[in-house]
Amino acid sequence: MAPLLEVRNIKTYFHTQDGIVKAVDGVSYDVNRGETIALVGESGCGKTVSALSILRLVAEPAGKIVSGEIVFNGIDLLKLSDTEMHKMRGAKISIIFQEPQTSLNPVLTIGRQISEALEFHKNMSVHEGMQEAVHLLKLVGIPHPERRIYDYPHQFSGGMRQRVMIAIAISCQPQLIIADEPTTVVDVTIQAQLLELIRNITKDLNTSLILITHNLGIVARYAKRVFVMYAGNIVESGSALDVYHYPCHPYTVGLLASVPRLDEPRKIRLQPIEGQPPDLIFPPAGCAFQERCAYAIPQCQNEKPKLTEITPNHYAACWVSQKGSRPWQKS
Amino acid sequence: MTAPANTVVAERPHHTLWGDAWVRLRRNKLAMAGGIFIILLALAAIFAPLLTPYTFAKQNYSAILQGPSWAHPMGTDQLGRDTFARLLYGARTSLAVGIFTQFIVICIGLPIGSIAGYAGGKVDNYLMRFVDVMYAFPDILLVILLRSVLGGSIFNIFLAIGLVAWVNIARLVRGQIMSLKSRDFITASRAMGGMGRHITWRHLLPNALGPVIVSITFNVPRAIFTEAALSYIGIGVQPPTPSWGTMIQDGFGLIFAKPYMLLFPAIALALLMLAFTFLGDGLRDALDPKLRR
Amino acid sequence: MLRFIIRRVLWLLLVLFVVLLITFILMHLVPGGPWDREKALAPKVIAALNQRYGLDKPLWQQFLNYIGGVLHGDLGVSYSQSDRTIVSLLAHGLPKTLTLGILAFVFAQAIGIPFGVAAALKQNSAIDYASVLFATLFASIPGFVLGILLMIVFSVTLHWLPTSGWGSIQQVIMPVFCLAALPAAQTARITRASTLDVMRQDYVRTARSKGILESNIRVRHIFRNSLIPVITIAGPMLADLVTGSFIIENLFAIPGVGRMFVQGIFARDYTLIMGGILFYAFTIAFLNLVVDILYGAIDPRIRYE
Repeated sequence: MAPLLEVRNIKTYFHTQDGIVKAVDGVSYDVNRGETIALVGESGCGKTVSALSILRLVAEPAGKIVSGEIVFNGIDLLKLSDTEMHKMRGAKISIIFQEPQTSLNPVLTIGRQISEALEFHKNMSVHEGMQEAVHLLKLVGIPHPERRIYDYPHQFSGGMRQRVMIAIAISCQPQLIIADEPTTVVDVTIQAQLLELIRNITKDLNTSLILITHNLGIVARYAKRVFVMYAGNIVESGSALDVYHYPCHPYTVGLLASVPRLDEPRKIRLQPIEGQPPDLIFPPAGCAFQERCAYAIPQCQNEKPKLTEITPNHYAACWVSQKGSRPWQKS
Repeated sequence: MTAPANTVVAERPHHTLWGDAWVRLRRNKLAMAGGIFIILLALAAIFAPLLTPYTFAKQNYSAILQGPSWAHPMGTDQLGRDTFARLLYGARTSLAVGIFTQFIVICIGLPIGSIAGYAGGKVDNYLMRFVDVMYAFPDILLVILLRSVLGGSIFNIFLAIGLVAWVNIARLVRGQIMSLKSRDFITASRAMGGMGRHITWRHLLPNALGPVIVSITFNVPRAIFTEAALSYIGIGVQPPTPSWGTMIQDGFGLIFAKPYMLLFPAIALALLMLAFTFLGDGLRDALDPKLRR
Repeated sequence: MLRFIIRRVLWLLLVLFVVLLITFILMHLVPGGPWDREKALAPKVIAALNQRYGLDKPLWQQFLNYIGGVLHGDLGVSYSQSDRTIVSLLAHGLPKTLTLGILAFVFAQAIGIPFGVAAALKQNSAIDYASVLFATLFASIPGFVLGILLMIVFSVTLHWLPTSGWGSIQQVIMPVFCLAALPAAQTARITRASTLDVMRQDYVRTARSKGILESNIRVRHIFRNSLIPVITIAGPMLADLVTGSFIIENLFAIPGVGRMFVQGIFARDYTLIMGGILFYAFTIAFLNLVVDILYGAIDPRIRYE
């Protein structure tokens, strides 16, 4: 079965007064029908930009997708006309943004903001749309939805607003949902609720999900496959189990090590990854992670490693792994 | 892990807040043009005696109402005074008004706004009520009233205009300080033991200053215009002190016969105000830390 | 909502009172009096006039009498215009001033908003640069300087338009244009800045991610938010126009309230001055109140405070 979405070698650059920022520099991943994948990395690594590129929501004129293909259901989205792209957004592919505080129009009722997509894609009248909005709010767990559709965003808490965003995203039953750090700005208890909600909904509707996050703690439970991004490139990809138990890239190792764990004694210090991500305008020659890497060999400084298969379906862009050794593996 | 010697490490240059602002300002051609014009005009006004043999008051009854000529590059008025000379000396008046009114505005508005902003509570309440009342007056009319009370010397004109204009600055400063007060870096500063007044001076004022500077730059042309308007109506500076507004009034009666008498001061006024506005715009863009391109 | 309005109305009345008080005091600080003439009148005549108009009473009493009169709708009699009541004078000048102000306001919005929006939507295009340039130009040149320049061109040189009077379309064009130029420019600038700001907001991106039509995004998401600041300044702008028109009135010899007021100051015509200030202060405060109420209707965040 062909994947639902294939992102092929996408490059998205931003033109700024200081130079060209290569936010996404040759990234490829894919999502199968009904599957949840995770796109993991720290802030600024390009994961959000790659997701925005899928929907062609990158801010022009500064940002531009300079090359690559995004094949959805066999069609290259980058070749679609504006009108056709409009029909995709919200209907076949939708996105849940990170900041519920600012992602909703302050002067429109919640009900109207949910029904907008329905009015456009499903030709519903405003009234019908509002009715459906009530149903959707119930689905995402907002009490008294018949009243709440007439309320405004500022009357909702952060967690509730994120539920509204989820309702908007699923309103037209899309085939693919992109969730960009959906729980980063809410507190931990709400995080768990929201993630369960997203998981249940995608299961019920058999929707594919791209879960973008920097929090490795949540990835294992929700995603089947993981793509780790660093400085605009994918540095490791594989099944969640493989990547967790047998990481093939020092960055992934670092990410895993920095997750606080309940099963370790509190005295053990958190282990951050030393150093800073590289400058995306003047990226270093060789491996982008090399300066912060405890396992670097001379080759890492000179040549940029390519994503290669280390074990079946488990890829990594690391010279050390490709030579067959994994000095970070304890067992 | 340090970078080896043969790796190119490119760094972006760092600037200070003011340094950055200056660079941005320099890039703005209109603002620079405005600034240069103002400086040139100021120099011309200061060195007026070198630029023209006439004074603004010298009357020459044998050369009344002449058009532009070699002797009088901009013609003469109904009393035989040289228009070019009056324009130059009138520039002194305009620039003086523009600048000195701002001193008054700063001396009154800055402290009052700061106190209101920093103290908050009742003090702020009373001050802001007072500001509300001042706002109910149309600016120019209050200036006219004050001017009638105070008299016609140029210093009184400064006072009249300044006493009305400080209100806006006070409001602005208060707003700035209030919004800064609750910002995180003040809390951080307090946590490290900074005392009250120390906080205000070292932390609050430099940040509040940006919009205030811009506002003052915009205030200058308004003050210049107010003086010209007052003079045009007849209650500005008294003759023989030259003023572009008076020149406009003098020329108005002869608009059909000798339009150039009006033209020169009107254009001069327009250009000066344009220059300050361009400069003010440029300053505002330069000082805005959230620069949007 | 009602309590809000009542509180604001009471505040308005208090402000008016204080304004009148300050004006009264300032007025009496001005040297001279309403009876000053080129050739001084005999002291007996002055005393008789003062007595007739109640000017011999102590100041505080004069003031209270005046306030009493105002509450009854009696604004007194003009000292310089042969006993015409202030009310009738205001009534005479008001329509002209109001028409001038309102026409200028409509013109300013009708030009300013579309240009500002167009400039923002097509940023860095020809229309953007042209709008910004014109807006800056007209925002800097004061109305009366513009008036003079226009007069020189259209009246003196081309003889197309008259320089004074009020009534025919030719007489109306220049004053309205001069008065409206600055607010039009300001409106255009604010509209442009606000629209640019809103266009960058996250919720516009959310709207776009739903795939709805660009026109719907513009109207429902962009404009509904970006026009809020424009409306906020519309009130004070209208107030400014109505009260600030007196220089234009002077320039174009339009017999409105402004001109009347300035003449009153020269003549030390106390009641005229007070009447003028009362009119102006009231107009400003009233229009501000209307805008505040409207603002609550438009922006739901304010409503629920």
